[in-house]
Amino acid sequence: MSITLIPIVRKEFRQIRRDKRILGVLLFIPALMLLMFGYALNFDVKHTSLAVYDEDMSRTSREFARQFWNSEFFDLKYYLKSKGEINSLLDGEKVRIVLVIPSTFSKDLARGQQANVQVLVDGANSFSAATIIAYVNSIVQQYSLNVLATAIQRSSGGVTVPIDFQPRVWYNPELLSARYLVPGLIAFILMIVAVVSTSLSVVRERELGTMEQMMVSPIRPLEMILGKTIPYMVISLLASASILAVGYLLFDVEIQGSLLLLFVVTFIFLLGSLGLGLLISTVAETQQVAFMIAAVSTMLPTFILSGFVFPIRNMPIVIQAITYLIPARYFLVALRSIILKGVGVSAFWDQFLFLVLYAALTIGASSYRLRKLLY
Amino acid sequence: MKTILHIVRKEFLQFKQDRKMFAISFVAPVFQLLILGYAANLDVSDIPVVVCDMDHSRSGRDFVTRFTSTGYFRVVDYVDRLQDIDHYIDDGHASMALVIPHGFQKDLGAGRPSPVQLIADGSETTSGGIGLGYASVITSRFSQNIILESLSRRGVSALPPRVNAEFRVWYNPELKSRNFMVPGVLGLLLMVMTTILTSLAIVKEKELGTLEQLIVTPIRPRQLIIGKIAPFMLIGIVDVVLVVGVATFFFDLPLKGGFWLLFALCLIFLMTTLGLGLFVSTVSRTQQQAMMTAIFFIMMPMIFFSGFVFPIENMPRIIQYVSYAIPLRYFFVIVRGLFLKGVGIATLWPQAVALLVFGIAILSLSVLRFRKRLA
Amino acid sequence: MMMNNDTTNNAVVVEGLTKRFGRFVAVDNVSFTVRRGEVFGFLGPNGAGKSTTIRMLCGLLEPTSGSATVGGFDVTSSPDGVKTTIGYMSQRFSLYEDLTVEQNINFYGGIYGLEGERLKERKSWAIGMAGLKGKEQQLAHSLSGGWKQRLALGCATLHEPPIVFLDEPTGGVDPVSRRNFWDLIYSLSSRGVTVFVTTHYMDEAEHCNTIGLIYSGKLTAIGSPTELKHKLDRYRIFEIRCEHPVDAMEQLQKQPWVVETSIFGSSFHASTLRDVDAFSEIERVLAQRGIALQRIEQIVPSLEDVFIHLIAEEDAKPHNNAS
Repeated sequence: MSITLIPIVRKEFRQIRRDKRILGVLLFIPALMLLMFGYALNFDVKHTSLAVYDEDMSRTSREFARQFWNSEFFDLKYYLKSKGEINSLLDGEKVRIVLVIPSTFSKDLARGQQANVQVLVDGANSFSAATIIAYVNSIVQQYSLNVLATAIQRSSGGVTVPIDFQPRVWYNPELLSARYLVPGLIAFILMIVAVVSTSLSVVRERELGTMEQMMVSPIRPLEMILGKTIPYMVISLLASASILAVGYLLFDVEIQGSLLLLFVVTFIFLLGSLGLGLLISTVAETQQVAFMIAAVSTMLPTFILSGFVFPIRNMPIVIQAITYLIPARYFLVALRSIILKGVGVSAFWDQFLFLVLYAALTIGASSYRLRKLLY
Repeated sequence: MKTILHIVRKEFLQFKQDRKMFAISFVAPVFQLLILGYAANLDVSDIPVVVCDMDHSRSGRDFVTRFTSTGYFRVVDYVDRLQDIDHYIDDGHASMALVIPHGFQKDLGAGRPSPVQLIADGSETTSGGIGLGYASVITSRFSQNIILESLSRRGVSALPPRVNAEFRVWYNPELKSRNFMVPGVLGLLLMVMTTILTSLAIVKEKELGTLEQLIVTPIRPRQLIIGKIAPFMLIGIVDVVLVVGVATFFFDLPLKGGFWLLFALCLIFLMTTLGLGLFVSTVSRTQQQAMMTAIFFIMMPMIFFSGFVFPIENMPRIIQYVSYAIPLRYFFVIVRGLFLKGVGIATLWPQAVALLVFGIAILSLSVLRFRKRLA
Repeated sequence: MMMNNDTTNNAVVVEGLTKRFGRFVAVDNVSFTVRRGEVFGFLGPNGAGKSTTIRMLCGLLEPTSGSATVGGFDVTSSPDGVKTTIGYMSQRFSLYEDLTVEQNINFYGGIYGLEGERLKERKSWAIGMAGLKGKEQQLAHSLSGGWKQRLALGCATLHEPPIVFLDEPTGGVDPVSRRNFWDLIYSLSSRGVTVFVTTHYMDEAEHCNTIGLIYSGKLTAIGSPTELKHKLDRYRIFEIRCEHPVDAMEQLQKQPWVVETSIFGSSFHASTLRDVDAFSEIERVLAQRGIALQRIEQIVPSLEDVFIHLIAEEDAKPHNNAS
């Protein structure tokens, strides 16, 4: 069996090598993507554009307002003189939040009363709006506590803040979004790369007419599958290694857990995804259709349903059930566990099992379809 | 002109021939919008917390209730020992752990600070970050109340000054992320579908050899390009109507702006994505190349850099400049504006113009690149 | 559809046409003319530069140097003009496999500006000519090789172009269909259409009015079939049948008065210089070797013989590496 396998593998390699662009894309683009996206993407909502409308214009009000733009969370874009501009600034997305300080601000505080400020938030992007509100709240609370403490100090000497709040973050102490996003990015990128690389392989031969030649040769379906998968597996593994290297070098993502386990898990995931691509390639009749099926079934679903960005927990139950169909979901849990948490297989054995099932199903189904095509 | 019609007719005949492509072009977007629209949800609530209460006091329980009553947190279990927390977080059963130390109530009564620990699973930064944010607000409010209570117990009648922020959320008062996500997914779907359709359009003929027969005729490049795009424009329009329909009727997404304006702007957007796909087609030699180029150089950057989930303001300067070249970015502003804010062309004209310019530019580029020569 | 006015009798004029792909010279300084209404054949082995030449003449490839005029239009400066006067059939089937016969014809008819009565008329002509009556609704994909070629020819000539370029039109087609195809070519020619054909079938070349022999990108000979055969007038060609033909060929090749030997089916041809008593000499050489001679006959040279000689002569020339 291996005698016929080697020429097939060699042919596929040769075809890949001939098309420099494809080879380059498969090898280098994944790491490049991680680089780009890793630097660009984060959930930290910083530098939110802020407009301040200060009716009070006192030293206190200015000091209060300064708390906002001194922090890295807000960038002061407009210091408004009148209320009229507020609408257009928010409508046109020129600022996301407007701080309105009433004329009685400093007077209320001096009199020992509660001073109210208004915060207008662009709620369109509810996620960043919620985060913005949380930041504003904490800035306001901080300021408020300070005002309180100063006032009390003056009057009755010494009160300490009762709750010594000690937040600790495990696995990602600085809450670097990058750390969180990197495993997700890796899963996403590898999924797309793997499926895309094999999804045209069989259908291409059909469309260009070289399939006939295959059909008359003594090739067996399994040999053809292995022959088409092995080169891309090698390339994908290389790409995975380069992605992890970038993650380590540039984003300080150190692999806390076992490298061997990581390799095994990645291998199985890649096998399943390459198999999926192959399956698509045996089902479609033209390359265009294969492309459509591959792109439509992997890009957006993986992005949204794998748990990469949107926590699965928050989804309606029905949708959560559907996410079980997304292979990247299992891979992501495994990745996060191994890379960030450093735990062993026991923590995610069910995901592991699903991955194995995925690989078996796709390779099996492709074999079956290929057999029907060849005979 | 008539030549263009002939090409359009041929494209449609070929399109109709291929049952699968027909189905995917129309069914997939609707199907995906339904699933992904429900899934794309960043509302952070019901964060699972494991509580380690080592005090077993009323104050401690009271403190925990402050968390659960907000609806943001949900206690999954109570443990007695600190070590027991580990496996909840490791296995992902809880995203946070609240540790109330021994002597909590006594310390509070005596005016001593009590070290409360909040441990967050940093590998899930979305809930981790926001969760911590909420937690810090809840804790500082709790602190503030304790201070005020102790002050009133000491007989201080006048309440000390503090600042209170009143939030008003525009456009999306319930902060339903769905209102933001569904238009976003809509834009993404349109982008993916139309780019796929056109990026193989010309390459396919190149690869199969039919292009040769076509360019030996007196047909002009301009006619071929327009003829190739027009059918996909029509398909894109049908897709627009379908997904907007689903968005408005199924998701109850309010379309505050005008429908015709949305339609017109969608058309201009389609022009840009179709143009991009076509351009890919003119620079690729084989369909496989075109597919890789389209996926890795057009679609993936669009997904990440368009401002869909990751705010552009947070990205490094360079990437922000790059994002100006991404049509989807402008489309998101348009779509958010029309669905959520109810603004009109007066506010959206910069985006409309940007898209128009881009569309014309990319189409012209495609025409220039496509010369009627083989080499 | 009209030719440019300043062509008189020449449909195609080629001068010094050259095409380089990097360091490889595919077409090397080729010059010839094709008269209006004639059937011109470009003969040569695979890779000799036939398809490249045709593509340049059709305006599909840009020449590296040299010039060519087709139907009065210069291929470099007005390729679009060229395209209005020609029909082209490529080596590989290049119509739409996922459209029916009728849909393909309608499409190309439309592209060439045919409509209404004219389109109907040309459509039924094409279908009749190609013998595809009753097959109009069949997908092109499902047609067998011969029918595909005829459909392609039909689509290439729908607009009644004065010049038609056919690149290996009978590749992979059975002999009967090949014969029929050439009948079609003749009927086109009889109506004044200039037909430019490339082929590697020697017997087909006999059908042409003029043949150009192309080898390694160079035009080694040009003339009518008879003219070319006369090029071998200084030799005598013999057809020999004997035992151990290969051995015999080797022995004869060693003789100084033998120019060329080549196998032809179960016998072989040998060409000798004129002033030798070849009959007896051949018998002597073979007898010396103990090879029994079964038959020997002097024959009129075929185009294949011409071709072999010319190639051998070309190969024998010192190769200048200027190209």
